[in-house]
Amino acid sequence: MMTLRDLLVFSGGAVLAHRVRSALSLLGIAIGVGAVILLTSIGEGTRYYILSQFTQFGTNLLAINPGKIKTFGVPGVLGGTTHKLTLEDAEVVKRISGVEAVVPMAMGMGRVEAEGLGRSINIFGVTSDMPVVWRFAVAQGSFLPAEDVHRAVPVVVLGPKVKRELFGDRNPLGQVVRIVGYRFRVVGVMEVKGQVLGFDLDDSVYIPVANAMKMFNLDEVMEIDVAYVSAQVVDRVVEEIRRLLTDRHRGTEDFTITTQTAMLEVLDDVMRVVTLSAAGIAGISLIVGAIGILTMMWISVGERYSEIGLLRAIGARPRQIFLIFLFESMILAMLGGGLGVALGVTGSLLLTMVLPGLPVYIDEQYLLISLLVATGTGLLSGVAPARRAIRIDPVEALHAE
Amino acid sequence: MIELQHIAKLYEVGGQPIYALRDTSETIQSGEYVAIVGPSGSGKSTLLNIIGCLLRPSSGAYVLEGQDVSQLDDHALSHVRQHNIGFIFQSFHLLPRLTALGNVALPMVFAGVPSAERQARALDALESVGLADRAQHRPSQLSVGQRQRTVIARAIIMHPKLLLADEPTGNLDTSSGQQVMELLELLNRQGLTLLVVSHDPNVARRAKRVLVLADGQIVKRLTGAEFPVSSMPFSQGKTSEDETSRC
Amino acid sequence: MLTEIVRFAWAALTGHRLRTSLCVLGVAVGIAAVVMLTALGEGARQYVIGQFTSIGSNLLSILPGKTETTGAIPHMGGVANDLTLQDFLALQREIRAAQLIVPISMATETVSHGERSRQVAVIGSTPDFLKARELRVALGDTLPPGDVERGSAVVVLGKTIAQELFPGQQPVGQVVRVGEWRMRVIGVLEEIGTQLAVQMDEVVLVPVATGLRMFNRSSLFRILIKVRSSRDLDATCVEAIRILTERHDEEDVTCITQQAVVSTFSSILQTFTLVLVAIAGISLSVAGIGVMNVMLVTVSERTQEIGLLRALGATRGHILWVFLVESVLLAGLGGLVGLMTGLGAVKLLVWVYPAVPAQAPWWAVGSAFLLSVVLGGLFGVLPARRAAQLDPMAALQRR
Repeated sequence: MMTLRDLLVFSGGAVLAHRVRSALSLLGIAIGVGAVILLTSIGEGTRYYILSQFTQFGTNLLAINPGKIKTFGVPGVLGGTTHKLTLEDAEVVKRISGVEAVVPMAMGMGRVEAEGLGRSINIFGVTSDMPVVWRFAVAQGSFLPAEDVHRAVPVVVLGPKVKRELFGDRNPLGQVVRIVGYRFRVVGVMEVKGQVLGFDLDDSVYIPVANAMKMFNLDEVMEIDVAYVSAQVVDRVVEEIRRLLTDRHRGTEDFTITTQTAMLEVLDDVMRVVTLSAAGIAGISLIVGAIGILTMMWISVGERYSEIGLLRAIGARPRQIFLIFLFESMILAMLGGGLGVALGVTGSLLLTMVLPGLPVYIDEQYLLISLLVATGTGLLSGVAPARRAIRIDPVEALHAE
Repeated sequence: MIELQHIAKLYEVGGQPIYALRDTSETIQSGEYVAIVGPSGSGKSTLLNIIGCLLRPSSGAYVLEGQDVSQLDDHALSHVRQHNIGFIFQSFHLLPRLTALGNVALPMVFAGVPSAERQARALDALESVGLADRAQHRPSQLSVGQRQRTVIARAIIMHPKLLLADEPTGNLDTSSGQQVMELLELLNRQGLTLLVVSHDPNVARRAKRVLVLADGQIVKRLTGAEFPVSSMPFSQGKTSEDETSRC
Repeated sequence: MLTEIVRFAWAALTGHRLRTSLCVLGVAVGIAAVVMLTALGEGARQYVIGQFTSIGSNLLSILPGKTETTGAIPHMGGVANDLTLQDFLALQREIRAAQLIVPISMATETVSHGERSRQVAVIGSTPDFLKARELRVALGDTLPPGDVERGSAVVVLGKTIAQELFPGQQPVGQVVRVGEWRMRVIGVLEEIGTQLAVQMDEVVLVPVATGLRMFNRSSLFRILIKVRSSRDLDATCVEAIRILTERHDEEDVTCITQQAVVSTFSSILQTFTLVLVAIAGISLSVAGIGVMNVMLVTVSERTQEIGLLRALGATRGHILWVFLVESVLLAGLGGLVGLMTGLGAVKLLVWVYPAVPAQAPWWAVGSAFLLSVVLGGLFGVLPARRAAQLDPMAALQRR
């Protein structure tokens, strides 16, 4: 029987015999594969980027928000619950075993001024545990002091951008800033964190939550962030929080608990679907490329009528003829796939060079899959021409000139 | 070696049955040298294709080397062709993208001969037809005579017992035609059975036996010496229509 | 001459039915994908615009709070300076261009009647809210007019809420609890469905002052202003901010016009659609390569024919046109088939899922077809040039 190597040599020879035609055929597949790889790379890059946005706060994290109703898919945007989510609730949660740290959070917008300069920015009311829970360190000075959460100590920690805008290169520690008219003493400056989910954490200030609630006239916190010790305890911690807070809220569960892992899973799924959809749309070009190969193989069988007759006369079995044409089509598609992978990878790398901000991640798994899919489409588009080839009558083919 | 018993080949053309070959019986011994002549449409190509196992007869039996091959399937016939029959064509049928060596080695590829052995055997075969120095040339770089000798090398590469030559000199000039015929006859003398289909009386006369076909039947059996020198024993009237009706 | 060439090309195409069909199929797949994606994207855009314009396009909102941080989401969290009912009254007094000015406070509360209760969005406002949002009362009365600072204990229920709390009963005149408050139902809204992602059948309306007291808030959620003409939108924004800045001694509110929101959404969706269509369009370039490849084969197959035509007096230009027309016909045919398929698929989709707002805009249909023709021309140039440059003598002699 014919060996694989013989098949490759023979079919490959036929591919090489029509260089321009073969090049164009495989270019079609290459463009398709390249597009798929480029898009999955961007998609994967974005997925990792978004995931890292969340995981930078750690994964053993959960959030309690007031309200059970979800508006715009987010609980508690409108605020207001039958029973308010209070600082006492946060205190209770903190006592649950397995809970590492708790940050009740209330935020608002307001004007921060120092020495004639001012900015209207986000003001976060938090507690001393925030650096632990949000994994967010102080660059200069210290964070808010650990005190009774109900005490409204007039101290503030500045985001690096606020510090730069208000103080330039000068040392802000010990200086006084006015936040919506109230006087606060600067005790620290945070490290650079950048934008997270639309909030520029660098362009924000951090004050004790009790101050923020008083300042903004809030009677409940907007969120309680809880860091727990390990993934093993998450189910128990969630249950415990649910039980304790429902008790405290007179039997109504008017709050929502979201664990970071659950949110990450949803997000991960959404991003995967988006990436795969985009790749799928790009995959249409792969189909068109396969149609191109089908067309050219069909023509090629017609042109090589007498060759097929000869091969049959010298003893080639129909199965061998079938394999020859199938291999030819597959070789075209595989070369196209290889070129496509090269194009896709080069394109992705070029893209990162031109747009350094764009997250691009090349997953070898996708490279392999695209290559396999390309080869598969090549095989598929070779079937019809190969069947045409074996149906050719050798007597007729030998005399056709 | 070849036993044809009441072979017939029937075609349907526009619903009408047309006999390309009717009730033909003939025995050809091993080592014979036979020419088949006849006008276009006389059935000589059909006969050759049946003997070459490219066509199955509609009725009758064809025993080749003691095996009835008339009812074998496509796959089995391929095997018979591969090992028992060597073909020589008027229009060569060399693959332009392969070298002379590659073309000669081609039958061995489909027979699964290991590639190292293929090289050696193909080179031997080329040497035996006097083309060892042309092994790496492509068909387009060879003269027509050299091309036909390459074809002969390809035909004998699997050591068949039977050589079928369809108008082997049809595309050749006189001198290279002469060379080719001498080569074929040499192979015949070495023991191969040789069947030649030709229009050319000079070719037919060289054979030991001549079968004359007309209207799908063998109408005369002559010795080569009996065959008329100058003209064929039939008119060359209606060629092209009959040529196409064969398909 | 051109009709002759077209007829000639057509005969050549129909002479190779299968190869022609495959080429047509390739182009058709690409065009169909482009048409379908455009239809889906454009449909979504129209749907969003429709959602906004259904509640009037001459609206603007004043939100408490202001941020200079770029890219931040506005109106999250609390604000230092309240947007009060007095602010609302001041705007009502001073803004001439305004047709309606509506104060809104908003929160989530539990609404209950007997055993039945559920959490709903409670909107505190004035009767003008219904006018601004083009809502109507199906049963009973709308919110009471008059002094906005007087909050009476009355409530208008959304359709779904009314049905859930009072199944098979007449709700008007009954008493419900909203949070800790006992309130009398004075009306039920007509069925509306979703407006801007808020299920309006599942809200309850109370007087704005009642809302503020109930939620224990001093600041409004926002103030809605409806102007007479969209030309007044920007000027009204500027004026409203000026008035409020004067009252608060600092600029601490944000003004968003409905149009700005609409055009932001619209341009986001448009960009999204264009990106998807561009991705699908990659397949068109692949189809074009296919057309080029087949045309190259055709040219080499018909070398003798080209030689003959040249011998009979055809110029290089004629030959060029023969093959160019053939290529354009091939791609154009694919475009036509793709358009039919794409439009058919969109129709089918809408028929099966009437909720999907898919509609192919005419410009997309037109340009998709034009694109296929241009494609044929572009990828036909190389083969046609090759044909035109053949040497007539050599071409005739080639087998």
